[in-house]
Amino acid sequence: MTTPSEKGALIELLYQLADDDFILAYRGSEWLGLAPHIEEDVAFSSINQDMMGHANLYYRLLEQLGEGKADEIAHLRAPSKFRNAVLLEEVNGPGTYLEKPDYDWAFAVVRNYFYSVHKQIRLDSLRHSDFEPLAEAARKIMTEQYYHLMHWELWFKQLVTSTDEAKSRMNAAIEKVWRDFGGVLTLGPAYAEMVKANFIDDENVLKQRWMKRIEAVFNETGLPFSGEPRMERGNGRKGEHTPDLTQALATLSEVYATNPQTGW
Amino acid sequence: MSEAKNEFYNVYEVFSKKTDKSPFQHQFSLLAPNADMALIMAKENFFRREQVADIWVVKRENIRGLSQSEREMLKRLDKDYRETKGYGYLKKKWREYNQEQFTEQHILGGKGDAQ
Amino acid sequence: MAAMLDYDRLTEDEKLEHFMERINRGEKIEADDWMPDDYRISLIRLISMHGISEIMGALPEKEWVPKAPSLHRKLAIMAKVQDEMGHGQLLLRVAEDLMAPLGKNREDIMQDLFSGKLKFHNVFHMSAPTWGDAGMIAWLVDGAAIISQSMMLDSSYGPYARALKRICAEEVFHAQHGESIILAMAEGTPEQRDMLQDSLNRWWTSLIMFFGPKSAKETGNSNADKNIMYKIRAKTNEELRQEFFTKYIPRIWSLGLTIPDETIRFDEQTQMWIYKDVDWNEFKQIVTGNGPESHNRLDLRRRSYDNNAWVRDALAAKRAI
Ligand SMILES: [Fe+2]
Ligand SMILES: [Fe+2]
Repeated sequence: MTTPSEKGALIELLYQLADDDFILAYRGSEWLGLAPHIEEDVAFSSINQDMMGHANLYYRLLEQLGEGKADEIAHLRAPSKFRNAVLLEEVNGPGTYLEKPDYDWAFAVVRNYFYSVHKQIRLDSLRHSDFEPLAEAARKIMTEQYYHLMHWELWFKQLVTSTDEAKSRMNAAIEKVWRDFGGVLTLGPAYAEMVKANFIDDENVLKQRWMKRIEAVFNETGLPFSGEPRMERGNGRKGEHTPDLTQALATLSEVYATNPQTGW
Repeated sequence: MSEAKNEFYNVYEVFSKKTDKSPFQHQFSLLAPNADMALIMAKENFFRREQVADIWVVKRENIRGLSQSEREMLKRLDKDYRETKGYGYLKKKWREYNQEQFTEQHILGGKGDAQ
Repeated sequence: MAAMLDYDRLTEDEKLEHFMERINRGEKIEADDWMPDDYRISLIRLISMHGISEIMGALPEKEWVPKAPSLHRKLAIMAKVQDEMGHGQLLLRVAEDLMAPLGKNREDIMQDLFSGKLKFHNVFHMSAPTWGDAGMIAWLVDGAAIISQSMMLDSSYGPYARALKRICAEEVFHAQHGESIILAMAEGTPEQRDMLQDSLNRWWTSLIMFFGPKSAKETGNSNADKNIMYKIRAKTNEELRQEFFTKYIPRIWSLGLTIPDETIRFDEQTQMWIYKDVDWNEFKQIVTGNGPESHNRLDLRRRSYDNNAWVRDALAAKRAI
């Protein structure tokens, strides 16, 4: 392939894809054993495993591009090297997964649903990527992604059309997610290069597709649609992050970092 | 409130087929508030590793099963006029005519999938 | 051929006699079959305790899910803990169907857990402070669980036997997941080996306790014996413990680990393992909710159940769209 600047853009894109799935799967894994219903706990966990598996596929592509071993990439980078959207690193609610977890299921449903819709659209574009290994990975991931979207869409639609309490909690969660979802929809500073090399479609096209789909669901369920989502707490694609990510990475690498050289 | 909670915990029976060709088989049951939820949960609760080609969920209260007395009545008398074992003597008969008795496959014409 | 029975016309004594005949013939009892209250109560006690132990048992290992030291280990332990939740699901369904005629459902099981009426296995009251514990739990706690679960695969209660069949199939994966972690550490750095030995020291007493006290006399509890009479289970606590020793002690030794009991040895004459018995009062303290992590783990469970009550209320109140 490719010029050095194209390669740089490709690597940026792969970090975004990998880190988005990795960090959100981690937040999901904190819910393990704490979901509203035992049967749902099991179903949710499959989604998180799938997502972490997807991250793993992308980390392996980065490994092949000379970025280091997948486990090192996942466990040893500084927070500023992570390219996930800020929204996806946010804690599940007050408390930690070990102590007093007052987690918010409405936030989990809205964040995962909106992300699933975007992921579907993004994969649809990546399927035709000019970087063939990425196109191939996207096609593999899509089959599992179909069920994730079905899962979260069902939860979303059922909760926003149920009791007053559920509606008000879901509305609060939608508002919260809206403030930062713009960070998921952007491709960051290397965006023009990614599009020019045909790695992925224009971010504006992807964003419009997402808004159209979400607006349709809002109309169907009687929710007011409030225009473009914002990016209030920084652009994760530029390495801007919150302390939530620092905490997440400390947990994720706690054991591995004690001795990355040995076998575990 | 507690009445509403009982409405959440509905029993759904889960059936599945392993491949396109296999018949549906009962797998297990789960609790869910409605059929759509039951379906998305069934997939991950019972088919994390097994191959599965299709899934049904059925609300248990919509199934009419047998009572224990009714089940006991199933232990029926022999009715050999319904079964091939009533015709065991045919083999010997055909031998008298220097013929082999047709096997099931012969009778069905060897065309595979019999109804 | 068995005589046809019109159940509705039998006396209670005749029903019981017919029931015991079925049990002794090795027939399987189903959820809506007639059964003596005694049998139903024994099953509910055993299976709801087993089921809730799977749910509570997810919590100590879950502590290590995000911290697992590689992408592969993260995925494997997530899948393993998910399986345990799934085992809880299967077993609670079996218990719930037995409780239905008493007007009870999962809500009651959860409330019984929170009030302390429903107990869970001693091992899941203990703390798991290192990654070594994640390995030790999957290797030896699951190893112990496999022994006690597989002896009930032929249980007289059909739905329990079927649930156990699904469970045991997955336990094979758990055992290998545990062995893989343990072997990596045993072959690793001196720090890793120390971590492993510390973890074994921490879990040994709990593992002995796992199978329960030796005989009815020690506890005044004859549930185990009754369960054998009803062919719900096939072996006594001590028989299971001895099986566990035979299966695992040689392996523990083969890795150069030390069992924290200088007296343990196989006695050729009695063909039994001689070992230092544990303090069964401590066991009682632990399972009644006074173990090191009892309070914290129950709080996690209760908190998540209460925080999410609005979700169950919301879906209970609505029709599917
Ligand atoms: Fe289990
Ligand atoms: Fe297990």
